[in-house]
Amino acid sequence: MFCGIDLGSRSVKLVIMDQEGVNRSEIFETVQFYRNYGQPGKNGLIVDFASVGVGEFDKVVATGYGRNTINIVGATVIAELKAHVIGAMWQTGLNNFTLLDLGGQDSKVIKVRKGKMVDFATNDKCAASTGRYLENMATVLGISLAELSSYKENPVELSATCAIFGESELIGRIVEGYSVPELAAGVNYTIFKRIKPMLHSLASEVIVFTGGVALGKAIGQTISSELGVEVVVPKYPQLNGAIGCGVYSWEKRG
Amino acid sequence: MANIGITTTVPVEIILAAENVPVDLNNVFITDKEANRLVEGAEDAGYPRNICGWIKGLYSVVVERGNIDTVLAVTQGDCSNTHALMETLQLVGVETIPFAYPFDRDYDLLKLQMDKLITALKTDWEQVMAVKKRLDGVRSKIAEMDRLTWQENLVSGWDNHLFQVSCSDFNGNVNEFEQDIDQFLLKTKSANEFTEDIRLGYIGVPPIFNDLYSHFEKMGARVVFNEVQRQFAMPYQVEDLVEQYRLYTYPYGVFQRIEDIKGEIEKRNLDGIVHYVQSFCFRQIEDMIFREKLDIPILTIEGDKPGKLDARTKLRMDSFLEMLR
Repeated sequence: MFCGIDLGSRSVKLVIMDQEGVNRSEIFETVQFYRNYGQPGKNGLIVDFASVGVGEFDKVVATGYGRNTINIVGATVIAELKAHVIGAMWQTGLNNFTLLDLGGQDSKVIKVRKGKMVDFATNDKCAASTGRYLENMATVLGISLAELSSYKENPVELSATCAIFGESELIGRIVEGYSVPELAAGVNYTIFKRIKPMLHSLASEVIVFTGGVALGKAIGQTISSELGVEVVVPKYPQLNGAIGCGVYSWEKRG
Repeated sequence: MANIGITTTVPVEIILAAENVPVDLNNVFITDKEANRLVEGAEDAGYPRNICGWIKGLYSVVVERGNIDTVLAVTQGDCSNTHALMETLQLVGVETIPFAYPFDRDYDLLKLQMDKLITALKTDWEQVMAVKKRLDGVRSKIAEMDRLTWQENLVSGWDNHLFQVSCSDFNGNVNEFEQDIDQFLLKTKSANEFTEDIRLGYIGVPPIFNDLYSHFEKMGARVVFNEVQRQFAMPYQVEDLVEQYRLYTYPYGVFQRIEDIKGEIEKRNLDGIVHYVQSFCFRQIEDMIFREKLDIPILTIEGDKPGKLDARTKLRMDSFLEMLR
């Protein structure tokens, strides 16, 4: 068994897996994970895997936003984009696609050809196309994230470039009398508008959609219908980076 | 003898012929221990947050350091923010002289600009040409340093950047600058060869980050081509000074720059290109042209404030190198 860990900005994803598939998985809030299971050591973060309680495994491979700042003692650390590409290929069996990963604070678009990353783009100044934005908007609308991400019909026009100003814009739309489904669809459509330029410049006929945001149906359906592409959401969209780490344990592919 | 602040590369021969000291305000700003505070100082004075950090740094250098007598500002061929920079400097009583590179590289218009500058600084063509001869000698040494970077692998990307970027004002003292490059070349002859497996080209304006080159080297890559910095060093040695500043690519359209970059990609055997863009800069638009016209992997890095690379940018640099491998 192998352990793959994706240290995300909002959550830490952990999988125990082998060539047969994912044996078990856990998702922790990032800060809670560090607080409960991590201890700063001289050579990096010491994770108390016994307390995590995911059983025995032979090897740990880690990735994530912490790659440049956090080393997990005893783990092999690989680049985040690489982990996601490996994870997406293993989960879908595809070798030519564009990977769209929308996580807690990060958007990544990676063009993959013949199993190799050939170009990529990431958000680096603004997190208005990410999960955290959706969480905030769901809170404003008083609905769950799962419900928010199911609406796509009759989207309300929202134009604020800033995620925070977006909240007050949404409140303004509520006052104008729009329904929750229309408002939620509008929120989902703003995500699409923000990632569309990246999907254009790194286009493929197939988009593999991963990250926590891919758990909702609406955004994937909008991408498919607006861009005329096939959108594939793998079985474990949110665990994709961690799975990539797990697969790297035995594949070692670059 | 006056200190003439310059906002970018100008015909420095004219400033030196008039026995003035050229001071590249960018270099003063970025090497200041409190570069970030200089940016904040301009914001305190009223500069918007969403305006280029370089412009704000330049403003504060002039206003706060107080040793610049006149600012020679390039109003065409660099950055239109310079217009407002001049105006805000005039507002606080700083003398400014405009200089414009004609967009279409028109010889007569460029000569006229140089004539006017010669008149404004009270010198003449004869003295200017004497300085040009003197600088040609120094520039040929810089060209040799550049060759040692890509051909012999004896110079780091940072040293290559620093020597070439300093050719805008020769650190205000041509003789000392020449001694520096002489010593550097001597030391380099016996230096160990760099053995990175990835050779990068750097295009765009010089970075506001101070650890970009060292980070690449730490990750097993080296910049062996600095596009704009090399242009500041006037790599095309010609007799006619007007022609020299016509061949200089940076102030004109992007397509001439692309021809230069294409040739160097080939010659220097580059694996990838790093395109640095400054936050809020019009040159960010040109990224799409580079991606269209250059058949080589490109990483676009954006910088806003002075200081170290942020974790996100490092992550992207890291991934880019992974991709090239």
